[in-house]
Amino acid sequence: MAEQKHRVTINNRGGAVIEVAEDQTIYDAALAAGFQLPIACNYGGCITCAGKLLSGRVRQPKGTALNKRQSQAGYILMCVARPKEDCAIEVGVETHGQLYRNPFAAPQKRSV
Amino acid sequence: MANNGSGPGYASPAEAMKAGREKLLYTVALYVGTGVEKPDYLATVDVDPDSPTYSQVVARTEMPQIGDELHHSGWNACSSCHGHAHMSRQYLLMPGVRTSNINVIDVSDAKNPRHHKVVSGEDIKAKTNLSAPHTVHCLHSDIIISMLGDADGNGPGGFLHLDQNFDIVGRWENDLGDMKYNYDFWYQPRHNMMVSSEWGAPNTFMPGFDLEDVGAGKYGQTIHFWDFEGKKIVKSIDMGADGMIPLEVRGMHDPASNEGFFAATLSSNVFRWWKTDDGDFEIEKVIDVPTIDVEGFPVPMPSLITDILISMDDKYLYFANWLHGDLRQYDITDRANPKLTGQVWLGGQLGKAPEVNGVTVQGAPQMIQLSLDGKRLYVTTSLFSTWDNQFYPDMKDKGGQMYMIDCDTENGGMTINPDFVVDFGNEPNGPSRAHEMRYPGGDVTSDIWM
Repeated sequence: MAEQKHRVTINNRGGAVIEVAEDQTIYDAALAAGFQLPIACNYGGCITCAGKLLSGRVRQPKGTALNKRQSQAGYILMCVARPKEDCAIEVGVETHGQLYRNPFAAPQKRSV
Repeated sequence: MANNGSGPGYASPAEAMKAGREKLLYTVALYVGTGVEKPDYLATVDVDPDSPTYSQVVARTEMPQIGDELHHSGWNACSSCHGHAHMSRQYLLMPGVRTSNINVIDVSDAKNPRHHKVVSGEDIKAKTNLSAPHTVHCLHSDIIISMLGDADGNGPGGFLHLDQNFDIVGRWENDLGDMKYNYDFWYQPRHNMMVSSEWGAPNTFMPGFDLEDVGAGKYGQTIHFWDFEGKKIVKSIDMGADGMIPLEVRGMHDPASNEGFFAATLSSNVFRWWKTDDGDFEIEKVIDVPTIDVEGFPVPMPSLITDILISMDDKYLYFANWLHGDLRQYDITDRANPKLTGQVWLGGQLGKAPEVNGVTVQGAPQMIQLSLDGKRLYVTTSLFSTWDNQFYPDMKDKGGQMYMIDCDTENGGMTINPDFVVDFGNEPNGPSRAHEMRYPGGDVTSDIWM
């Protein structure tokens, strides 16, 4: 039986659309399509590959390295995220403005 | 490297000090977390002032896989193998903390290191249930590497044993005792001792630093003393609030000495450790760097002592304060009472030296390496990609730097050398972060005498 595939649009790569199987990670599918995204641990234990989910839903294993604040800001980990439906995403460190904060700084002073 | 038939390294620390001035320096250079989607690399820096390419990167050796986060490195053989003519200091092992790959670099041609092989991180996980390799020490003929996590990135990790061909033997240790986390280690076979420290589990520190994780006990505050031959922990000391996140552990170079120092990074204290005459281990706090209240920061800022080393003659202790932005030199002739003898400022969160030698400093003093004769201290400014991105977010776009500090070994004192700066912001493939440094012939943080 043909595996279910979803269309994932990478908004900040010229709106490129990649086909991602339900059991395939967005990272792997993007790489196969010629897009080298940030990557490191490749198991959801670090946030090097983080990007933003703009629309649609993905499946990620529990216990990924994203904290609540980062998840609420829309980040997902491309190395473990698998699409459940068609999605639009933004990738790369250019999306990381809200990912990091200085832990000694006041919450209201965090940089965008 | 070629050797003179007497094996790698030097007969003694005193002999090492006479080796002559270093001409090349290796440093890891990272693209993880910068936006340059290329593998990390080993940068070879020309540190010979008589060379036309002085203070420049003269070779770049790329790793085969993207995303390693190269961090620390170590040799296949050091002065512990001196006298073994069949061995040579030919391979530099460069672990990737995030991928768990261990890259082996052949430095037979010192000016043009070549990638030799990879010990696959996936293979290490499958065979030993360990991940996140960190400190590499040669163990006479074999190699042991501290591993910071299990295969899933949780604590406590353990120690990986490789043979001379870089094949996985298995786990080195017999008994981890109550060890919760792992990080650095130093060993001295003459006293049958090893000391190891604690950072945190990879799944805790890899995403970045969060004070809530400190409160939840997810960072280490314990130092471990080992029966080296028995490969088991014999004493662990929980230091509480004084000893949070103990990282680099150093021993005296004189193999007759049974003591050393380590820094508790977050608490920003330096401890002395020693083995007593009756075989027990003890520690005492000898330096306490006060926190500073910074406007706009509700939490007092620790200095964050991220690296520490001891000069080859065991006379001076140096350390880096990565948040405050200073490098310090202490005379440790009186081991229990280190005396501050030098200090310089480079970058940092306090804004005391934002520009040095015409370059805006990204980050602050971090990894340090001292010349064998003790007169030149090299320093790089990156700590760890995710932590860099929290504390010094501009570094990912502007790259890290390397500076050299002239050190007065007679009377004490430090001065930033005005003629040396390597700006990794100008790298041909884009800005990178420089971290740990090594010399081709051995240095004060790799060589151990038996």
